[in-house]
Amino acid sequence: MTAPDGALEQVVREEWGRLVALLLAQFRRLDLVEDALGDAVEAASRTWPADGVPTNPAGWLMTAAKRRVVDRLRTEAVAVRKQPLLLTDAERHQEGARTMADGGSLLEDDVLRLVLMCAHPALAPESATALSLRLVLGVPTADIARLFLVPEPTMAARITRAKKRIVGAGIPFAVPDASVLPDRLDAVAQTAYLAFTAGYSPGTGPDLLRAELSGEAIRLVRVVLALRPDEPTLVALLALMLLQHSRRDARVSDGRLVLLADQDRTRWHHDEVAEAMRLLAAPRLAGPVTPLAAAYVLQGRIAAEHATAPTAADTRWDRVIGLYDLLLQVSPSPSARLARAVAVAEHLGPAAGLDALEGLEIPDSHRPASVRAELLARTGDADAARAAYDQAIAACRNDVERAFLLSRRDELDR
Amino acid sequence: MKYLVLLIGDGELKPWPEHSEEEQGAVMRLFEAFDAACREREGVEILAGEALAGPTHATTIRTRGGTTSLTEGPYAEVIEQMGGFYLVEAPDLDVLVELLAILPPYDMQVSPAVDPY
Repeated sequence: MTAPDGALEQVVREEWGRLVALLLAQFRRLDLVEDALGDAVEAASRTWPADGVPTNPAGWLMTAAKRRVVDRLRTEAVAVRKQPLLLTDAERHQEGARTMADGGSLLEDDVLRLVLMCAHPALAPESATALSLRLVLGVPTADIARLFLVPEPTMAARITRAKKRIVGAGIPFAVPDASVLPDRLDAVAQTAYLAFTAGYSPGTGPDLLRAELSGEAIRLVRVVLALRPDEPTLVALLALMLLQHSRRDARVSDGRLVLLADQDRTRWHHDEVAEAMRLLAAPRLAGPVTPLAAAYVLQGRIAAEHATAPTAADTRWDRVIGLYDLLLQVSPSPSARLARAVAVAEHLGPAAGLDALEGLEIPDSHRPASVRAELLARTGDADAARAAYDQAIAACRNDVERAFLLSRRDELDR
Repeated sequence: MKYLVLLIGDGELKPWPEHSEEEQGAVMRLFEAFDAACREREGVEILAGEALAGPTHATTIRTRGGTTSLTEGPYAEVIEQMGGFYLVEAPDLDVLVELLAILPPYDMQVSPAVDPY
């Protein structure tokens, strides 16, 4: 028999989204469901150690949560309060509203409805991301707050606001028309990637990187992929995330960031690299895909070049440059140009890298200046490098990165 | 739900007076297609919809300290270009957005009406 604590933790982790989805489908009360499920988990933590783990732990939680919701609805009925309800496509069925373009291609999966509702494009991206982690995966609010480096009450308020907005704006708990579903799944991918990158944006102190929380974003993609296997955007995104995530243990040492070239490659998770390489080879990615999927594929292939190079010196920078050239055609961005310039510098030398940086600016970012400084230092122009470091240090908003830039600048004088 | 749809800006379309007669006809047919699609879709109904006179004919009403004053022009620059509106009953935001895609690609604001009951 499983230990009660472990069993509860496991069922919460694996079944949270499905339980939320089923409760929403039945009661349509976004404001009650999460609390009711939280109460049920709390009750389980008290009773399971004494009574033993039930044979169907998820069913037990569902029954307990339903009872909670029904209790609340009874209390409200006495108070004669009318609450706005979440709109479901069950309601559209009742109204016979699905006459157009409903070629039977709709999926009726409750968890997919939940994911699409949480990652709706009418929600601000940060809200969509927080809500997805909370409702689909059951990540505690405190952890989501840590991931985004905000105080817990701020995150709790953001999640509450997002739930109210869903009901108020009429965002449905439904799978949209097949013609817009690919776009909506792209929005889900962007939501997951935002959560992922948040964990890798440097903080300070013990929260330098929150890589284990970034792992939750990978779990979100896996949940959606289980419902929509072979969806190119999600397959490519999972590969890209796995490749970046595989380096997590090598990225921090003694509370400092370790650059890619200096990382101990034996500490990379090579099983994850292997899975990503298999995903990138999927035939589905070779056909026509959305621009977002194409951008993820190319970023994944770039990450794969690094992941499969035995040492930093073995990196095939010529191929990396070629992939960045393609990426800039599919999805032009200053950060991709910056990364390409770094690759050019590695392949053809710092002077060529500086040429590739010409005219590149990213508002509110210290990165172009810090790369320029690094390349100027390599060309031996210490004065120009110092000026560029000063510029980067002035623009840098993050303590860890600023400390790194200061140390690089001071090394110029040695 | 009831939604107020404000056709709030030309977006990438050129201003109405710069359309040729044929182009105006083509735009009008998009409005007709929207009407037809809403009629066909169960659970959807256009409750009201009008084209609006330009900002020079707008009047802003403000009450301060019990005194109401009228001023010429729109309330805020942001709705200066507002060309028209619809009041639409639709089951949810997704259905409405799907139908609005039929209209000329104006910038729009969609606000749900509050159910008073």
